[in-house]
Amino acid sequence: MISTSSEGKDMPLDVFLLILRLLLIVLLYLFLMQVVIAITRDLRKTAAVSADADSKTPPVVGHLVVIDSGPSNLTPGTPFDLVPQTTIGRGPTNTIQLPDSFISAEHTRLWYRNGAWYVQDAGSTNGTYLNNQPAREALPAKPGDIVQVGFIRFKLTQ
Amino acid sequence: MANRSPSAFRRYRWKELGLLIIPFMILLLELTQLLLVKQLKGDPAASFTFRNLPTAQALIPMLGLIAVLLGTHILFSIFFPKTDQLLLPLVGLLSGFGVLMATRLGPNVNDPNLGARQLIWVILGLLVCIATLFGLRNMNWLRRYPYTWAVLGIILVGITIGKALSVRNLDSPTHDQLNIGPLNLQPSELLKICIIIFFAAYLSENRDILSGVTLRRLRLPPLRQLGPILTMLGIALLLFLVVRELGLALLIYGLFLSMIYLGSGKISYVIGGLFLFALLGFIGYGLFGYVRQRFAILGIDVVTPGHFDETLYQSSAFQIVQGLIALASGGIIGSGLGLGHPGFVPVVQSDMVLTALGEELGLAGLFAIIGLYLLLIYRGFRIAIETSDAFNQLLAAGLTSIFAIQTIIIAAGNMKLFPLTGIPLPFLSYGGSSILANYIIIGILLRISHNTAMEREGFA
Repeated sequence: MISTSSEGKDMPLDVFLLILRLLLIVLLYLFLMQVVIAITRDLRKTAAVSADADSKTPPVVGHLVVIDSGPSNLTPGTPFDLVPQTTIGRGPTNTIQLPDSFISAEHTRLWYRNGAWYVQDAGSTNGTYLNNQPAREALPAKPGDIVQVGFIRFKLTQ
Repeated sequence: MANRSPSAFRRYRWKELGLLIIPFMILLLELTQLLLVKQLKGDPAASFTFRNLPTAQALIPMLGLIAVLLGTHILFSIFFPKTDQLLLPLVGLLSGFGVLMATRLGPNVNDPNLGARQLIWVILGLLVCIATLFGLRNMNWLRRYPYTWAVLGIILVGITIGKALSVRNLDSPTHDQLNIGPLNLQPSELLKICIIIFFAAYLSENRDILSGVTLRRLRLPPLRQLGPILTMLGIALLLFLVVRELGLALLIYGLFLSMIYLGSGKISYVIGGLFLFALLGFIGYGLFGYVRQRFAILGIDVVTPGHFDETLYQSSAFQIVQGLIALASGGIIGSGLGLGHPGFVPVVQSDMVLTALGEELGLAGLFAIIGLYLLLIYRGFRIAIETSDAFNQLLAAGLTSIFAIQTIIIAAGNMKLFPLTGIPLPFLSYGGSSILANYIIIGILLRISHNTAMEREGFA
């Protein structure tokens, strides 16, 4: 168990433990540094992406045209602009705000990726439907499809 | 889900793998040190040779943890390649330290299996984390039923109270545990998560009303909309005052304030909430003897001996004073793992684990550990900022606040800056329920991060 100190290559245990202790501290701070570097790189990447996004206002890539206003006071035929990340709801943070009591604060999300639209309900009370299919999960949509937000029906157009 | 395209190599989570290497080295190094000390302690003439190095067999517990962490990493790479890459290394290192401390403190608290049990809890926690990631495919069922979560929370509180009242011994440290077979579960750990889900769901649905009304009626909080939240808060706080869980009451109040601030963006609510808290504090101070006692401890002068009330020291200040002595004896680089004397501090394995860490890893080690918490919390808020919808933002920020508030309450308590309350230090304290609850939180955060990335990259 216990080594004899007659061997020449022996090192006092205290010294060895001190080395271990210092090594631990060095490793701990190396790890912290590594994480901070990873974070900085991440931030730089996000900054570059958002600078790209800021340099141009989000392009209008489609429209939602009211075809059935349901209980709301919208006029059928009213177009709403769609940007690549669109949210619909009653709340002030949405891209498209619909002040109607059957619309939830955050009702529907639409986004445009790789040439296709995706529609997903954002946890609304009255639901979102794509061609009468409930859109609880993200559903792909194409121009001409009918998007129903609460009781209001829209047609997706270019 | 699994993407086996040619770019799979490029999409592999190299960053996570790279960040896991140093934690693995640290864990193996520390277990080696622990075993060396155990083997050679009490022999002043002992010296080191390579024959004394522990065998691979002795390192099995840590190697096991490393294998499970690597397995988790590979699973993430296959099924969730875009989820956050920093959380797993940070959490893995923290819970590795938790296992090491439990192993080291086991003999001091007459429980040699403490480390093994903590290790099993951490492995179970990682499995629960993976299960949460897979199970939460649709975040909507968290959001859709806020009142279900509120009721679940109240039931959990009810169980806690029922247990506490049936034991009729509110001073026992385990009065809030629930014994199911061999398991000691603390329902209050899950309560935190239920409350945050409820707050996030409720506030994201009512956010426009919350901020809208205040604009018109100068800073009057809309009581009708706040009603359900205040009721929930009141029930939780009242019940915890009944079972004397000061720490949890504090934590829940802190979470309430953070969530209100995050939801409304109005600092006036927080200031109002703090005034209300001071008022409640005074009432509590007047009504309950144990609250007065906790505050009296803060006034103790440790440096000049004989300067404080001997009976107070014997009854309840003993723990904190011993903890402070332990911290002070650690110095800058600490005594080294296994070489301190943490056995003098009561409940050192859970509430006071920070003092043991401070004694054995020193100020430098303690700073590094606080740094790990800071980065973990930073990452949580980052996930919250990056996600696009209000519910997920509130949920991620709220769950991260749990870590932040818990760490600050218990760390400040250990250092006599704040009344000491019995809540665990996330990932480091011994305790199964706390580990499981923390890993559920990490699972939800990773899921939110994954959803955000998927939405950004598209489903193609």
